[in-house]
Amino acid sequence: MEQKKMTRRGFMGTAAGVAAFTVVPRHVVAGSGAAAPSEKINIAGVGIGGQGGADLRNLESQNIVALCDVDWRHAAGCFRRYPNAKQYKDFRVMLDKEDKNLDGVVVATPDHMHAIVSMAAIRRGKHVYCEKPLTHTVREAKILAEAAREAKVATQMGNQGQASEGTRLLCETIWDGAIGQVRDVHIWTDRPLNGIDKWYWPQGVDRPKGEDPIPETLDWDLLIGPAPMRPYVQRVYHPFVWRGWWDFGTGALGDIGCHSIDPVFRALKLGYPTSVEATCTLVNNETYPVASRVTYEFPARGDLAPVTLHWYDGGMKPPRPPELEDGRKWDTNGALYVGDKGKMYNGRLLPESRQREYGKPPQKLERSPGHYMEWVIACKGGKPAGSNFPDHAGLLAQVVLMGNIALRPALKEKLLSTKLLWDAQGFKFTNVPEANPYLTKEYREGWARLYRLMKDD
Amino acid sequence: MMVDSIDRRKFLCGTAGAVAAFTIVPNHVLAGAAGQRPSDKLNLAAIGIGGMGASNINACSSENFVALCDADDQYAGKVFDKLPDARKYKDFRVMLDKEDKNIDGVIIATPDHTHAVVAMACIKRRKHIYLQKPLAHSIGEVRKLTEAAREAGIQTQMGNQGHSSEEIRLLCEWLADGAIGPVREVYTWSDRPVGGDPWSDFPIMARPKETPEVPKSLDWDLWLGPAQHRPYHPIYHPMSWRGFWDFGTGALGDMGCHIIDPAFWALKLGQPTRVEATTTHYQPEIAAETYPRASIVRYEFPARGNMPPVKLTWLDGRLMPPRPRDLEPGRRLDGNGAIFLGDKGTIIHGSHGAGGLRIVPETKMKAYKRPEKTIPRVNRGQSGHEQDWVRACKNGKPASSSFEYGGPLTEMVLLGVLAMRLKDQPLEWDPVNLKVTNVPEADKYINPPFREGWTL
Repeated sequence: MEQKKMTRRGFMGTAAGVAAFTVVPRHVVAGSGAAAPSEKINIAGVGIGGQGGADLRNLESQNIVALCDVDWRHAAGCFRRYPNAKQYKDFRVMLDKEDKNLDGVVVATPDHMHAIVSMAAIRRGKHVYCEKPLTHTVREAKILAEAAREAKVATQMGNQGQASEGTRLLCETIWDGAIGQVRDVHIWTDRPLNGIDKWYWPQGVDRPKGEDPIPETLDWDLLIGPAPMRPYVQRVYHPFVWRGWWDFGTGALGDIGCHSIDPVFRALKLGYPTSVEATCTLVNNETYPVASRVTYEFPARGDLAPVTLHWYDGGMKPPRPPELEDGRKWDTNGALYVGDKGKMYNGRLLPESRQREYGKPPQKLERSPGHYMEWVIACKGGKPAGSNFPDHAGLLAQVVLMGNIALRPALKEKLLSTKLLWDAQGFKFTNVPEANPYLTKEYREGWARLYRLMKDD
Repeated sequence: MMVDSIDRRKFLCGTAGAVAAFTIVPNHVLAGAAGQRPSDKLNLAAIGIGGMGASNINACSSENFVALCDADDQYAGKVFDKLPDARKYKDFRVMLDKEDKNIDGVIIATPDHTHAVVAMACIKRRKHIYLQKPLAHSIGEVRKLTEAAREAGIQTQMGNQGHSSEEIRLLCEWLADGAIGPVREVYTWSDRPVGGDPWSDFPIMARPKETPEVPKSLDWDLWLGPAQHRPYHPIYHPMSWRGFWDFGTGALGDMGCHIIDPAFWALKLGQPTRVEATTTHYQPEIAAETYPRASIVRYEFPARGNMPPVKLTWLDGRLMPPRPRDLEPGRRLDGNGAIFLGDKGTIIHGSHGAGGLRIVPETKMKAYKRPEKTIPRVNRGQSGHEQDWVRACKNGKPASSSFEYGGPLTEMVLLGVLAMRLKDQPLEWDPVNLKVTNVPEADKYINPPFREGWTL
């Protein structure tokens, strides 16, 4: 690749005339329909065996130029799909080698790597699409959002629903006053169990004894990344089920919260909460609990009344509202907005007759070209994406992840005596100092440098 | 024992004191009796004595134990050894046949699923009964026992010992005094089924596949009683049966009769009009066997007299209620307890019989001018619960938690258990006819079928 010192981002945004210098892989040219290759951005994927692969499929209109995964067997399908993309195991090596070829990076590693990979990319001026939740800790989300703002890169968190028509209609209906002031919102998910016959992923379990041989295709040390080293045991952590472990994932709340709490943030214009309170089934230092309830209290915002956000997981639901007609499903995942003048359940006014009568709210929000396209447009210098880190996703992820702090086993006894009170200015819990270390985490030796990079570089 | 055909129950209720001399009392009782005439003593039997029964027996050591019965004579061994003169049985039916004339009253502390058949057999013979909580395993059974006991005119007591406490009476008096104004919301909770000790930890599991041999000491068929047959496994007995649908009533059945008891009495709750439960997931193979890891049950009680409607919430599995505003920061909520939210204040208490009762914050407690004590006290409070029954058997005045009270309390508690079966939908309750009017499927849990050979 022949780009020399010019960054691709600057190039894409400002100097289309230089396009001819960009050498584009042949397969892209072959498959590229109408758009000139030069209008495409060059994307790398990090963590591509799971959701990352799905993200890349949604970005296939662009150039997929490099792929990176700590497990090449898990990544094999994605490698096959993009045969001309360079293959890497270590994202650091990839970023070094591909620096000049990349415009953006799609990060879909386990949660505990999100901030590190994303930050490494941002520091190189790359645009970042990062899966939800944005990060593993509250502080990482804050720093990452700040870094993205400073670097002026285009960002998008992987909560696709934010781009939907449904989210827009919900906001517009509530802003239209259709249910009056909203004082309570209930959000629930069936995760970590699917309620049929198996786990999405286990929670409430302890670390297994023993150790299995590490498959040749897997770089276990790299998967562990900044987390404390632990023995490899097959199927316990990788793939996918890392979600239930404190060291790697963010549990049901982290997984689904950024999807389902996102509309609450938008519709009710939420910021930081004033308090966080949680209760859960038995919890240990290894995995998140089987079920939890988290309650956030938000202060008044301008003309908007204070609101309490109630989170339920593990299959627990709020009481079925009397306005929900007999025979209508009280869903396994849902959202109920309770206002002074009515209720909205999964995006519809209750009862359904009320919704029909109401029809559609006045349109106030621009419609989205699609969640992934929003990011592509932003990468090309267009409007910031709807779930960009500095304006939205950073805060959303911080608030979601605060709930997990309130579930920490080490704080459980203490939190029988108080709820957590949050000081947004001071970025700390004021009344339980023991909780503040959980805003961040310890990084394993060798990763600390990268972490410093996050703060100081 | 040489007791003749005199009706001991009648005798003990005070109608035939002169005949007392005919009763022959075992020597060991005479030796230990200090001041009490042997003839004043009840002749008691106990069924299900290895666990809680042992402690109930202990509390009645002032009386004569003439017969003891347990389906597992090894588990019962310690109690057998302690009362060597009592005759020992495995089958309560055989015991009742043989000892009919010798027994005034029976203490019953079998697993929940056999409460009803054992108690009904005793009621039919007009024996007084002390029956562990919850009164029975299904709502239908509770109603039948309550009615049968009333008809038989026997003295009854349910084993919710907290009901004899000082604090539960204080709660009634304070609420009646308007200490916190009208109460519209109550939270009750228990850390079970994961309380952290063998008594309060119930398993959450699929049905065991292994079929180990039944220990010689145990009559497994009898232990199963009216429950559907299944192979023996040590996980069920002793203790852990509480976590299984077929045998126990879960955390709510286990602790609800203790923890909701104060609200039920003090607020004169009666039966709810609606109840709705949500729980952690039911995985089919596990759900068919054991109660969920955690549940939230929400009851709605209508207005009673001048008292407003009440929403009462039950939480278990270590789920805690929201922290009440009046509770001082730093003040701990216990693993089991209740919160009353009134228009003018908040009351909290702990697990049994409103223990640890306080108005919060403490400044308000201190400033509270306590009303006069108007409700009769039970001698020695909740430690005197069994003796209160003994007293009732002797003087004919009902015990503190007779079935007239314990029955309706248990019906309400078990309705919550039913709501867990039919979770995430409000159940409209007709307490007169014991019907969930909007979910006909509920019938099979209200009056579940008995195994062949067992009836009430």
